[in-house]
Formats: sequence, structure tokens, C-alpha cells
Amino acid sequence: MADPPRLSIVVPLFNEERNVAPLVDAVRQAQANRRDWELLLVDDGSTDGTRRVLRRLAAEDQRVRPILLARNYGQTTAMQAGFDNARGSVVVSMDGDLQNDPADIRRLIAKLDEGYDLVVGFRVRRKDRLISRRIPSWIANRIIRAVTGVPIRDNGCSLKAYRREVVQNLHLYSDMHRFIPGIAVTTAGVRVAEIPVRHHHRLYGESKYGLSRTWKVLVDLLTLTMIRWFRERPLLMFGWGAAGATIFGLFWTTASVISVVAFRPTKADAMVFPGVAVLCFGLAFYLFMLGFISEVALYGRSHAVPRGEP
Amino acid sequence: MAQGDAKGTSEPTARRLVSVLVSVLERPEALDDIYREYSAPLRSAGYDAEFVFAVAPWHRSLAEPLTGLIASGHPIRVVEAAGARGEATLLKLALASANGDPVITLPAYYRVDASALPKLVQRVEQGADVATARRWPRMDPWLNQMQSRVFHRLLGRLAGGGLDDVASGVRAMRREVLETIPLYGDLLRFLPLLAIHEGFAVRQVDAPQHRRDQTKRVYSPGVYLRRLIDLLGLFFLLRFTYKPLRFFGLIGSAFALAGLAILGVLLAQRLGGQGIADRPLLLLGALLVTLGVQSVALGLVGEIIVHFNVPRRSTYRVEGELSEEGS
Repeated sequence: MADPPRLSIVVPLFNEERNVAPLVDAVRQAQANRRDWELLLVDDGSTDGTRRVLRRLAAEDQRVRPILLARNYGQTTAMQAGFDNARGSVVVSMDGDLQNDPADIRRLIAKLDEGYDLVVGFRVRRKDRLISRRIPSWIANRIIRAVTGVPIRDNGCSLKAYRREVVQNLHLYSDMHRFIPGIAVTTAGVRVAEIPVRHHHRLYGESKYGLSRTWKVLVDLLTLTMIRWFRERPLLMFGWGAAGATIFGLFWTTASVISVVAFRPTKADAMVFPGVAVLCFGLAFYLFMLGFISEVALYGRSHAVPRGEP
Repeated sequence: MAQGDAKGTSEPTARRLVSVLVSVLERPEALDDIYREYSAPLRSAGYDAEFVFAVAPWHRSLAEPLTGLIASGHPIRVVEAAGARGEATLLKLALASANGDPVITLPAYYRVDASALPKLVQRVEQGADVATARRWPRMDPWLNQMQSRVFHRLLGRLAGGGLDDVASGVRAMRREVLETIPLYGDLLRFLPLLAIHEGFAVRQVDAPQHRRDQTKRVYSPGVYLRRLIDLLGLFFLLRFTYKPLRFFGLIGSAFALAGLAILGVLLAQRLGGQGIADRPLLLLGALLVTLGVQSVALGLVGEIIVHFNVPRRSTYRVEGELSEEGS
């Protein structure tokens, strides 16, 4: 293929040996007559026969490009690997377990062409279990929406379409892929749209996530929010914390004074309030120093970071 | 000297250049003896072996016996480190002067029998990225073996890997491994674990222990402490490379919650009329909250560091893209 394809579909896979071939078929069918697409199947260190199947599928169709990671890294890194190798001007990400429907890809792209940079699918009529999947998901989505300020209804839906420029500026790691819309919007002023997409039962295999994921998601969310605030002025952020601690310290100092003046306690008893005040001031100092160190850690960020990631 | 090529040679008779990197730092033996003993098996196995000795400045004199050998044409090179501190730096220096692939790292003292070297290289040629030597069967005193076993059990629990002799120091690896993995300080000791973490294939090869590897008696307690700290540091590094806040945040939250619980109880008592100005428990509560906040704040700084460093380093390794030829 001489020219780069117009569309790159990225699918991270982990132990999906029975889902891969149906997936490729579904994609092929959905793309019907078009030829200018490529399918990047990123194998995230699968331990079953996924690689074997990938080899066969790649041999049969040039548009199928498997990328084999050296070990299991996690969905976010696998997706990043796919993004790094995508050549299309439009990139679509999808789940590897056929819960997303490839037929929705056309509609995503159509929406993109209306003038958006990122189109996100939200799942209607979800087929998951209510208690352990859908309710935690709903909670997490509300929180994410509130914190990032980005009104995305369904952050857990992997079906998303991006313009190449958006993808190029992403450097994903840990479990960040859930927050891509949040990151993209706030950092690069990207225009986001949402469209409803279909959701299917998981056909084969078992889901890889559980309830504990919600807690991890929240921690990651905290991190990302902090980083957004920090971005330009870490000293300022830590400075606020230091100020808060100082105020606490002043409060306890006052309490100490009042206590000594009004109640005349013994020397030993008089130590507690001042002790707490000292702790507060110590904390304030510590946070302030951390602010300085953060400035050092971030030194040169505006110049040294490639590709102008803000 | 025959010039070996890197990869892809399928003729078994072509002589390949293997570089043996020797870091001369701790309790070094006579270097010319080392050269003679360890180069022989490699040559008989059909390899061209060049030896690069990276010498710490205070061991400069040890390199003198080698000059004679170099003059008579033996493939030896000596690189002197200008004040280098650690073994990792020495090894990096040696690598810079080395031309072969795969490379073998060898300490300047006797660990394994020389016959192990060709076996290690062959293991790498068979597809491993790193082949590390495990001293077996062992001849040391029982106490040493016990210590080693306990250490490696702990290592396996903390950092995974299934390795039994991480510290043997004798390893063959593809050049790329040494060039890719960030190594500094004492991390070199754990190279196989770091390699696994980076996605390389690490295999263990049994190698008979060298008769002169008497190793020590019982180590001083300071050494144990250092090893323990190494293990903890490694554990943290491997598990939380990209998510420091999870580690610090968990610890910090635990402390803060405990502190808040105590403060809550005290608050309730205060509101109920009881004075709290003389309660040391108040101090404890405040301390725990403070420690918690400090821990979380440190985690945030860690996250900042990670976040802004990620674009500079690739976070994954690809084994290959399947095209027509499989891997």
C-alpha cells in the first residue's frame, strides 16, 4: 500500500483468541467496499492463542496489522502503542471483545466530518450486569464529569474517533485512556461530540475488570486533576496548601494562648496545643518546599517536550 | 580479527564477535588470569571474544599485566573510568568501547566455571534477550546457601521473576538490553528483574560454581540492611513506575484516616464538655494527619515527574510487527 490509509482502527487485545477472528470479520463487513483502512490489533502479552490467530489473520489480509507487545502492559499502554503506529488521518479506538459494534464506526467518522476533533460513543441499552458494572460506572462517570468539567456521558466506552492531530499529542500511560476526552479538551481545546452507539453482550471469554477498578479510577482522576492545575505553576498550588496549613497553625497558636491565659495549666499540659501548632507550621513549610522541588522537576517543560504538548 | 555481524547470520560457521565486559571494582583478582581462563572456552566454542576491562581509577595498577597481552595481539581493551563510582557506570563505559553482540557481563572475580560462558551465549542466540547464570550445584557453606535461598524467595515475592541467583553477575545479553535499561547505582545487581520489567525475555542457565568462588562467611548486618533496602526500592520501582500516587496515596490515606478518626473522637469529647488541651492523643491525631498529607503531596510530586517524563521515554516495547515472517 503506497499511500497511508485514511482510517486506522486500534484495538488492544488481551487473551481474546476466540473473539479476534469474529472481530476482524465484523470490521471487514462494516467497511464493506472501502479499501483505505488498516486494523491495528495490539496484543498486550496474551497468554492464550491470540497471537497464533493474529498471525493467521495477518497473513490473509494486508490491512490487518498485529503489534505484539513484549509483555502485558495494560490497556492504556496497548492503546498508545496502537496510536503510535497508526498511519491514518482518522483514528478509531475499539474494544477487542466485540461489545462495540464496528458498524458504528461510519457514524463516528461522519460526525467527525461535521467539524469535530474527537467523537465519543456512549452506550445505550447496556448489556452488563446492573450492580457490579453499570452502577459503579454511572457513579464514576458523574464524578469524572464533575471534576474534569467535560460533559461526557460514558467514559468507559472505548469506541472513539480521533483526528490524527489529537492522537499525536497524546502520551498515555498507567490507566489514563478513560480520561482521554477530559485531557484532550482541557489541554488542547479540542472539540468533542457524543453519539449513541450499540452495545453487545460479551461473546467469548471473560471480562478483565472488576469493582476495584472504580477506586483506581478515582485515584487516577485525582492525579490528572492535580496535574492539570499544576501544569504551569506548581509552586502556587503547593503554596495554597501551605497557606491552609499556616492558617491551621495560627488557629492552634491562638488556642494555645487562650488556654494558657484563661486556664493556667501545668507546664506539661500546656504542650499539646502548641505541639499541634508546631506540626501545622512544619507541614506548611514542607509543602512549600515541595512546591520548589516541583518547579525544578518541571524546569524546561515548555521547551523540551516535543510536539508541543501543552 | 574476524568481524562478526549483529543479527541475522544463519551460517553456523561464521565466527561471531562476543564482547566480554569486565568491571574491575570490588575485590578483583588477577586480570590476566581472568582473561586466560574465560576466553578459552569461548574460543573453542567458535566465538571471537574481545575483552573490555573497565577499571576504577584506584585499580589502575591491576591493568598492567594486561599490557603484555595486548602487545602480543590479544583482543583486550582497557578503559579507565575517571572517578566512576559504581559498577553500572563502568559497564556502560565498557559497552561504549565494545563491538560485539551479544555481550557478556563478568565480574573481576571468580563466580562460575568458565565453561558456562558459551552456554550463556548460545541461550541468547536461541532467542533469549538475557541469559543469566545460576550457580548450580553450589559448593559454598550451607549458611551461605540458606541466606541466598531466603533472599531469592523474598525477591520472588516482592518483584517476581523466578530467579535463583540474581547476584551471580555473570550474564549474556543482547547489546540492546544494556543500552535500553536505565541502570545506575546498585541496580545492576538486579538487571535480570529490570529486564523482565522492560519486557525482555530472561532465561536462567545452570552453571557450575567456580572452585574459587568461596564467597564470604556471614555478612555484617550492614550488608543485610542494604540488601533489604535494595529490595524495597526495587519493589517500589517495578510496581509503581508510572503510578507513584497509588503507593503514596494509599499510605497517606491510611495515616490521614487514622488521624481523622482520632481527632473526630476528640472533637466529640470536646463538644461534650471535656477539655482536650491536655490530651496527648490530640498530638497523635494531628501527627498522623500531617504525615498523611505529606505522603500524598509527595505522591503528587512523583506523578508530576512521571507525567512530564513519559513523552521522552517509550513506555512499552514491541516484540515485532507481524508481516510475512512470524517471530
